[in-house]
Amino acid sequence: MRRAEPSGAAVATRPVRDASPRRSVLARLSSSTPLVKIAGGVLVLGAWEIVVRLFAPAYVARPSSVARALPQALASAGMLRAAGVTLRAVVEGLLIAVLSGTLIGLAMGRIRVVDRLLKLYVNGLYAMPMVAILPLLTIWFGYSPAARLATVVFAAFFPIAMNASDGARSVPAEYLEVALACRARWTDVWFGITLPSSLPYLLAGLRLAIGRALVGAVVAEFFISIDGLGYFILFQSRTFHHDAAFVAVLLLAGFAVGMDALIGWFTKRHLRWYRTGDSAA
Amino acid sequence: MLNPETRTARWATYAASVLGGAALWELAGRRANPAVAAPFSATLQRLWEMIETGELRASLGGSLALFATGFGIALFTALPFGLLLSRMRVLRVALSDYILLVNAMPMVALIPFILSIFGLEFGAKVLVVFLFCFFPILYNTIEGADSVRPELIEVARSYRSGEWAIWRDVMLPGTFPYAMTGVRQAIGRGLVGVVAAEFFLSASGIGQLLMTSGRNFDTAGLLATVLVITLLGVALMALGRALEDRFTAWRGLTR
Repeated sequence: MRRAEPSGAAVATRPVRDASPRRSVLARLSSSTPLVKIAGGVLVLGAWEIVVRLFAPAYVARPSSVARALPQALASAGMLRAAGVTLRAVVEGLLIAVLSGTLIGLAMGRIRVVDRLLKLYVNGLYAMPMVAILPLLTIWFGYSPAARLATVVFAAFFPIAMNASDGARSVPAEYLEVALACRARWTDVWFGITLPSSLPYLLAGLRLAIGRALVGAVVAEFFISIDGLGYFILFQSRTFHHDAAFVAVLLLAGFAVGMDALIGWFTKRHLRWYRTGDSAA
Repeated sequence: MLNPETRTARWATYAASVLGGAALWELAGRRANPAVAAPFSATLQRLWEMIETGELRASLGGSLALFATGFGIALFTALPFGLLLSRMRVLRVALSDYILLVNAMPMVALIPFILSIFGLEFGAKVLVVFLFCFFPILYNTIEGADSVRPELIEVARSYRSGEWAIWRDVMLPGTFPYAMTGVRQAIGRGLVGVVAAEFFLSASGIGQLLMTSGRNFDTAGLLATVLVITLLGVALMALGRALEDRFTAWRGLTR
């Protein structure tokens, strides 16, 4: 039909974009993103299922077996208790790290001498792989839940302190000048101006800290063999119950993604004034 | 009172920081039970001993070889895969959510599976380090591809750029800075992966040094190893930052 028209008119009336039918199909396909995403998921799970079925021993987890194990594992008291214990340690450790890290970070950002005294240590210990501290922490705290808590605090403290100090340094100078002109007390400058103004940085630090805290808790449980989701995974996979162990991994991933989403939602909801996309990460 | 802005004042405070830290460590170490902590001087002495006997060099060499192998494989697979996804929009849309998910997952949790499927030899350890490094690079490369404005590609197309020219002038400059952010993250995570693999699979390298000195209550040796690994971490992190800064210089231009 198109051939019947004069070619000049066709070019003039049709947008160039639709010139080739192959492209329009692709464009249509990729514009319906939910469908593409589901297809991608099916592809990934299918590849995993096939590879495991063909090449791996029977106990290795694959999507169908994990799905079968899912209801039973989620209902089992052992896993729920383990998840509770780990989650609680992570939250407690994060609370300690947020309180102390924010204070020290603010001090570093506001007082230059403090910054120079502590910077080397904070940067250095942040760069250190936190797993390496485990033997030392087990000597100090014993093979106990306290060592796990210490690991979580150690993992989470440094990103928070670093981001808090970056945030405190980024407070617009005008705010501080006005505060100075009004003879504001230092507590007001710190907690009334600096803290709220560095909140986006703190949240970015918290995001980093959550991931590290989860890793810290799991690694500590591997290392000191105390009850928790990490130990559950270790125990189940040692006894070749890979499906149940993998459900625990999914639970961990759920924690990580859930907490991250919570912070993302909070930032969007309550910190609209902040430009997104260029926070410290 | 010194003017805090001068260079001498700055170096004086840094020197005070180092000396103060060392003094504090020394004091605390002397007061504490030797099974729990060792003074700074004893730690340095033990460190020297470890250097002289070659103990440290062997361990460090083993760990670095593990790191380089895992990281290298991750780099040479994640980058091409990420670039491939950056030009195939459908595939990118289909897979990016899952890559994000896996990237957010605590990868250490997979170590027990690797242990029971692949055993505890060098290959399994490389796999651990590879998994720690692969996803940050892939994820950030895809981020970079998403940040390339479609207009740029359209303009290039309308000037009849070929596929190769689009890669060279639009896609690579656009995605590379982001990929380098991924490389920096991967360096940090890879080091964690090395130590974790050496702890939980067969003990070797720096991880073994940490474990044995911890188990023998050789606190000076343990602290010396922690010191070494901290310095290693700082050096690798600085390398990552330098790489990132080198390639992010032009990031502003593509946005």
